[in-house]
Amino acid sequence: MAEKAILYDATKCTACRGCQVACKQWNENDEVIPTEENGVASKNWGSYENPPDLSPTTWLKMRFTEIEAGGKVRWLFTRQACMHCTDAGCVRVCPNGSLYHHELGFVAYNKDTCTGCGYCIDACPFDVPRSTRNIITGIAKMDKCTFCTTPGLDRIAEGWEPACVKTCPTGALKYGDRDDLVAEGKKRVQTLQTAGWTNANLYGENELGGLHVLYVLDDSPAIYGLPVSPQISAATIAWKDAIQPVGWAVGGLTIVGLGMNWLVARANAKKEAK
Amino acid sequence: MTHHEVEKYRKPIRVLHWIHSGAFVLLFLTGLILFIPGLGFLAEDSWTRVIHRVGAAIFVIIPIIYLVINPRSVARGLKLAFTWNSDDIGWLKAAPRYYFLGDESGMPPQGEMNTGQKMWWFIVVVFGVLFVITGVIMWFAKASAPPALLQWMVFIHDISFIVSGAMLFVHIYLGVFHPLMTDAWSAITGGKVSAEYARKHHGKWYAEISKGKEEA
Repeated sequence: MAEKAILYDATKCTACRGCQVACKQWNENDEVIPTEENGVASKNWGSYENPPDLSPTTWLKMRFTEIEAGGKVRWLFTRQACMHCTDAGCVRVCPNGSLYHHELGFVAYNKDTCTGCGYCIDACPFDVPRSTRNIITGIAKMDKCTFCTTPGLDRIAEGWEPACVKTCPTGALKYGDRDDLVAEGKKRVQTLQTAGWTNANLYGENELGGLHVLYVLDDSPAIYGLPVSPQISAATIAWKDAIQPVGWAVGGLTIVGLGMNWLVARANAKKEAK
Repeated sequence: MTHHEVEKYRKPIRVLHWIHSGAFVLLFLTGLILFIPGLGFLAEDSWTRVIHRVGAAIFVIIPIIYLVINPRSVARGLKLAFTWNSDDIGWLKAAPRYYFLGDESGMPPQGEMNTGQKMWWFIVVVFGVLFVITGVIMWFAKASAPPALLQWMVFIHDISFIVSGAMLFVHIYLGVFHPLMTDAWSAITGGKVSAEYARKHHGKWYAEISKGKEEA
């Protein structure tokens, strides 16, 4: 099946935050009063951005960035949510396969089997997953954008577009076959470049094997607060691809060695006894 | 030959050993689940993490209590374990022939702690400390520490797990299964070993403790 994706065009976004609301509504993530206990402390920090951060019940939020360029203030909007990487750090480190790739390419997860280890949170290059966590007992569950594939609330299986896309009034969000959206994104970038936005680019085409959320940006990703070349961290690779196999090898060889020692030593002890 | 026995481990040390090792086995098993995806279901809803933390609390608190009650015993143990001499080098050279073939000809006489036991102490102390430092950070700074730091803490914690886990197999094997370690089990359960065993396995130590008695 052709992989699906979301195309987000920052130049068409007005930051109405309808997508944030639609996301909460569809996924039954109730509004939370931003407090320390709810994991999102609220304070006036001079921004219309609200809530201040993603949380276990806020899977999507718009980030507001103010920059000064050429004596003018620019107000930039970015979508902050799971990017659904092809090479996903979270999927790599998930110890029991609770995080996995959906057949259409997204990063889905089974919340029932999530152990709450939080490795995905540390491994994500985009700082997306969030968990409810009791700091003393360590009881935790991870949550993030499911691309509207949450069991029982699966819009994609019904052939519908994700809730955020459905509600977007300006056409800044679009859902479709990934290949088509890459082509369309490139076309929009070209239009922007001809209009004088020389730094315009399509973000997500090749990053981490290809993201399933593509961004049309009129300036460099760094200005939008996105990692310029997101990478799987060295610690992720060291843990998953070195430590785990080495652990099995060391443990296995030790047991085999001890077994051999036992056979030899017992035979010799018996010989001695005779 | 007389059948009298000598005391190898006093009761407080044996109690410490069993509580501490019990906690370690609990920690080992609940941690092992992370290496076996097929057993991941056991960790669902974080229950093994709760058990792991109870184990961790025991693992840390019990030695501290022992240290407070009996600092001299701890100091003595550390001194024995970290004092090496030429007999230890000799032990390392002769050990393979001894442990496989039962050939004791090259084995230098050992003190109360033989070289293998010293190495195990080294593992327990060094990796015990690493476990606790990395574990405390992962426990209490999970929501505040930088992600990269937490990832490397997991890495170090798991290296400690692999090394000390493999050595735990060796430790249990030598204490319980090895054909020549006949009195090791009774030493750590009832506290006593036969005089014959003490003389053969811990010659220097046996000479020390029996000197006073012979004079008496």
